[in-house]
Amino acid sequence: MFQKILIANRGEIAVRVIRTAREMGLKTVAVYSEVDARAAHVIEADQALSLGPAEPSESYLNIDRIIQAARASGAEAIHPGYGFLAENPDFAAACEEAGLAFIGPPAGVIRDLGSKTEARRIMASAGVPIIPGTAEGTTDVATVRRQAEEMGFPILVKAVAGGGGKGMRVVAEAEEMAEACQAAISEAAKAFGDGRVYLEKNLVAPRHVEFQILADGLGHAIHLFERECSIQRRHQKIIEETPSTALTPQIREAMGRAAVTAAQASGYVGAGTVEFLLDQDGKFYFLEVNTRLQVEHPITEMTTGVDLVRRQIEIAAGEPLGLSQEDVAPRGHAIECRIYAEDPAEQFFPSPGKITLLREPVGPGVRVDSGIYEGFTVPVEYDPILSKLIVWAHDREAARQRMVRALGGYAVLGIETTVPFLLDVIESAPFREGETRTDFIERHFTAWRPSAPEADVARMAFVIDELRPAARPTGGDQPRGWPTPWQSLGRWTI
Amino acid sequence: MEYRLELGGEITPMDVEVQPGESSARVRIGEASVRVDYELVAEGHWRLVVDGRALNVFVARTEEGKQIFINGRTCLVRDADAAPRRRGRAAGPDEGPGEVTPPMPAVVVRILVAEGDRVTKGQGLIVVSAMKMESTLAAPYDGLVTRINTAVEAKVMPGDVLVEIEPEGENE
Repeated sequence: MFQKILIANRGEIAVRVIRTAREMGLKTVAVYSEVDARAAHVIEADQALSLGPAEPSESYLNIDRIIQAARASGAEAIHPGYGFLAENPDFAAACEEAGLAFIGPPAGVIRDLGSKTEARRIMASAGVPIIPGTAEGTTDVATVRRQAEEMGFPILVKAVAGGGGKGMRVVAEAEEMAEACQAAISEAAKAFGDGRVYLEKNLVAPRHVEFQILADGLGHAIHLFERECSIQRRHQKIIEETPSTALTPQIREAMGRAAVTAAQASGYVGAGTVEFLLDQDGKFYFLEVNTRLQVEHPITEMTTGVDLVRRQIEIAAGEPLGLSQEDVAPRGHAIECRIYAEDPAEQFFPSPGKITLLREPVGPGVRVDSGIYEGFTVPVEYDPILSKLIVWAHDREAARQRMVRALGGYAVLGIETTVPFLLDVIESAPFREGETRTDFIERHFTAWRPSAPEADVARMAFVIDELRPAARPTGGDQPRGWPTPWQSLGRWTI
Repeated sequence: MEYRLELGGEITPMDVEVQPGESSARVRIGEASVRVDYELVAEGHWRLVVDGRALNVFVARTEEGKQIFINGRTCLVRDADAAPRRRGRAAGPDEGPGEVTPPMPAVVVRILVAEGDRVTKGQGLIVVSAMKMESTLAAPYDGLVTRINTAVEAKVMPGDVLVEIEPEGENE
């Protein structure tokens, strides 16, 4: 087992990895850019090394500086988190060359699965159902048009090197094809440096269901069941849950087997996620493999009791999986809401700035994976995810009610967050009924405006706060937010 | 004491009478009169009991007023009688927000005009970037660009006047 690991990331995921590493008795090394000098992950780690300026290419995406930091600190392994370099095969290779353990799959596997067409080819050969489409990418518009005519419409033009919804166009009719191809090709070239596109049949309002996999370096692979990620805004997941209301035990078993086959066929090692699309007829199709720990991994941890980061580190250290498929039995229901520094009242404009007040929800079945603290200034340079709020309960409705309670207690002031929007979604009838398809937000929430059900109370609070500008909290020296006996006992005199 | 408070674009008059020695106030909003008991639990955290209903309310002061969190929802409340804060030039002739200023801390990416250019209302002037999103600040009225107070790669804050425009038009 390693003595010391470096976490090549920031924010909530870096904090989360540090926590498990600490539990395992490992020393942790954080790296940070100039604007993150006082970030939560720096404060949590045993050691922290500065990488350079805020710009990601100078810091969190800078392979040389990160490898240097690992060498300087004596770290033997690097956990890449998600985003940044997590799925960069050159980074994985650079770690290998530097004699450092990359906590993730081998560089070759990342490379193979990073190409959509190569991944589809591997899956098709292994008998995993793939979305009907073309086998090779191209930048030749005429070729793509001809293929589209053969396949029929509606069709999806997708970037071979793609992800995150970029370089993707839905095309309903042949007339739109030329323009859509050009747009997708140029967007892909700009975003990924590779303009090749291929085609997939466009499924109508599918559900987006993914399976967690774990594989060790000795050929053992299992799945840890599914996550339903259909609620998305602009192709960005905002709410995830497990189990999926759409799966019957039979479909679950079949998809689970397909996920394990996908892992073995690609030579996977570590924790990964196999994404599927599920159409209205209960048919599922392979979409892609994410060769990293996913943002939404905590909901799987809550229902299975497995610490995925711990398993990642153990596998990277050469230990066998030690878990058979029969050992994993999920219980209850878990929901995750991603909390972003965005103003839902202003088209989700980013809302960086200083957090002047923070109260994270607590209580039974509530988990907050947070990268912030009160007084922290959220920088403008990075992805606006602040934290994840995860709840677990014995069934879906109880979990939903718990999430409503938790969101109601998640006070963040100084910036705006997506909490009010998430609350309205979780309280909505379509969510309660499990109507989670990828068009959920489009169908039910495009005209959303924030409500102010307690507008009068807010006005009263404004005035009362005015009346006592110099008020000292009755608790005196007590830690913030905790009622003291002096308060709870009520008025008394000596 | 009388207050006129603005929330969500609506201004509501209120009358507040503090009950001496009781941590309680009588609040009149329109026809309704309610009793509010209050207690400051911690900095920014008020426990209010409004006509018998208990609520935990979190309050933070901002430049404009106060940001208030109640049960998962936030709102901005402003004292409509307080003098508006303005940095830089006063509002333009049509009394809209006349400043070319970013809505959030950001970095200047592109400057689309030069000093001496004539611009029309709505014309893009400066592109700023924050959290991987670009937004374009537009001219609030027709006019002449007299000064550009920033440069590409500069970090800018709400309130910074990035472009000064001398208004032109019939309504002076």
